[in-house]
Amino acid sequence: MNGVSFSATTENRKGILLDPRTKLVLLITITTLMFSTSNEGTMNIIKPCLSLVPFVLILSERRFKTAGKYLLLYAVCFLLERIALTTLSGLFSFIVLAVSSIMTRFAPGIMTGAWMISSTSVSEFIGAMERMHMTEKIVIPMSVIFRFFPTISEEYQAIRDAMKMRGIRFGGKNPLLMAEYRLVPLMVSVVKIGDELSAAALTRGLGAPVKRTNVCQIGFHFQDVIAFLICILCFVLFLFQQQIVF
Amino acid sequence: MCFEGVSLVIRIDHVTFSYGEENGNTSGVQDINLNIDDGQFIVLCGESGCGKTTITRLINGLIPHYYEGKMSGEVWVNGGKVTERPLYDTAKNVGSVFQNPRSQFFNVDTTSEITFGCENLGQSEQSIRERLERTVQDFRLEKLMGRNIFHLSGGEKQRIACAGVSIMEPDVFVMDEPSSNLDASSILDLRAILAFWKSQGKTIIVSEHRLYYLRGLADRFIYMTAGQIEKDYSAKEFERLTEQQRADMGLRAFILEDLQPPEISPLIGEQMELRNLCFAYKNEPETLHIHEDKIPANRIVGIIGNNGAGKSTFSRCFCGLEKRCGEVIWNGKIYRPKDRLNICYMVMQEVNHQLFTETVLDEILISMEEESREQAEKILAELDLTDFKDRHPMSLSGGQKQRVAIASAIASKRSILFFDEPTSGLDYRHMKEVANVLRQVRDTGITVYVITHDLELILDCCTDIVHFEDGSIIDQFHMNEVGLKKIRNFFLKGVSEA
Repeated sequence: MNGVSFSATTENRKGILLDPRTKLVLLITITTLMFSTSNEGTMNIIKPCLSLVPFVLILSERRFKTAGKYLLLYAVCFLLERIALTTLSGLFSFIVLAVSSIMTRFAPGIMTGAWMISSTSVSEFIGAMERMHMTEKIVIPMSVIFRFFPTISEEYQAIRDAMKMRGIRFGGKNPLLMAEYRLVPLMVSVVKIGDELSAAALTRGLGAPVKRTNVCQIGFHFQDVIAFLICILCFVLFLFQQQIVF
Repeated sequence: MCFEGVSLVIRIDHVTFSYGEENGNTSGVQDINLNIDDGQFIVLCGESGCGKTTITRLINGLIPHYYEGKMSGEVWVNGGKVTERPLYDTAKNVGSVFQNPRSQFFNVDTTSEITFGCENLGQSEQSIRERLERTVQDFRLEKLMGRNIFHLSGGEKQRIACAGVSIMEPDVFVMDEPSSNLDASSILDLRAILAFWKSQGKTIIVSEHRLYYLRGLADRFIYMTAGQIEKDYSAKEFERLTEQQRADMGLRAFILEDLQPPEISPLIGEQMELRNLCFAYKNEPETLHIHEDKIPANRIVGIIGNNGAGKSTFSRCFCGLEKRCGEVIWNGKIYRPKDRLNICYMVMQEVNHQLFTETVLDEILISMEEESREQAEKILAELDLTDFKDRHPMSLSGGQKQRVAIASAIASKRSILFFDEPTSGLDYRHMKEVANVLRQVRDTGITVYVITHDLELILDCCTDIVHFEDGSIIDQFHMNEVGLKKIRNFFLKGVSEA
């Protein structure tokens, strides 16, 4: 639960360090290629390779458990997909195929996205967006949104505890009411925090009509070049394969 | 711009302000005139709703630029009209620290958070780096750099907030109840920061309920009632007031050494046995290790200890919120975590989280095993809530919400109540109210455990103290002569010599 959403800090980093822009390109490549193709020809090799990218990235952060779970999930779905395509038939085959191919298509993208968010700090994100000449009108609200995820998760846990303490007597009531009981206090406290947060940010000069400085260092390194090359290679193969097919 | 006196930094001239309709609870101020000299340390005091927060907002410009309402009069800071200057200009002169450490940081990472203000003002990277280095040294933050703010304690968060303001090198610091959520030792850290700013000749304005930690630092105490300045005391004059006079004014204790407990209550021998209350959060080292111990029951027991000593973990485990955590033996019965969920109830510091329904009466009814209107009305009457039974819980004041939560616990027939910091940020009168409610609850035969950093509350109603450190109970005592000495020692170490 903890540690999602731009929770990275600028020191004590583990794993492969990439520029936020590189991460974005990786994410786009993986999601696009995973979705837009069938399992024919070269893509049959490229896709499993691409899906190893988030595995390697997470592994490099020494989050062995997460990496292992992901690899296992992907491998099982990948195999099921093959089995369903070749040996099974009928409705059962259809269901297995649907579930497993949805998983193989979604999982790598989701993992890369989650990794991207958890390995980037808010100010790195702002820095990268500014280098890409995004306007502040988009960047600032977006960074606030990401800043809010951990808050919402904290508040949600507190409310869950409170409900647990109120106990079983809530159990028999209808689920809509249960959702209301959870959401109303959540919204009240999130709105309050948002209000105080904006006030605090304004008293520290947010919104001044000057170009914002950014102290955190971002920039391209050797590993970024490699990542870019991988992405380009995959796209080229993808397009090349299309030409062969048609 | 020039003033008559060269050294005048802040001038509030005939200011009247009232908030828009939506803020019914917060009252404004009427006809405020206040001059503050360069380098003065001002304390704004008075009961909740007296308008002291409004004054801080007038100085940092949040009124009228963020909080809307009707305003007349002018505010000058450093020769500029705050009322006309945009907020980012005022931000260069006035640094603000707020009450709630959870809601005043914009970044997740401590280092970026400290540099945030300077970055906004577009200062050069070089100068920000130099300032950062200096600030980290001044505030001794080496260990906190590059950390995730969500994993810091309240006191650490507040230190980061102060550093993030200090790095912008404003002339004026404005603080709105900065100690509300802090423990005894973090309050001393805060005091050290204030002393540091004072030594640099900064002008400081603090709006506060807790006054004891400001003793020896503040130059002036502005006492407010109902949106007006009632009296302007010099530090000497304020010191000369008796605790009783201050209490009559609705103010919290100023000289903790002088506080006396009302009476020493007879001791009852009942105890609760704890077995194997050990706990570690996921992927973290064990934070609570009570293998075998006994704590008093059927009384009001204060639980003290600094942040990180294991108090909250203990209360969570005791209430059964964490599964698989030890046994409690009471009256010859063994309670496992699941059983404890049914006999314990925790009134949280953030009461908003535990009120769910649309009316106060519903809140009570839903807690009962068998809904009985009559019984519910009786409980509401006991807690002075009858007039509010059809109101939405969220529309009540903090103290009323707290009482609704207590009422729902009584309705569900819990026999052990935990309170997590029930008096944080409360003025004298409201603190007394809470103490009365705690006594009332105890008189109905409920055991009350209060986690608190509030010496006045402890002296007022606790009969026993359990002291936590490093996840264990290191001491427990009755509130007799010896106990009184111990508890004073715990709260005062550092204040007298500072």
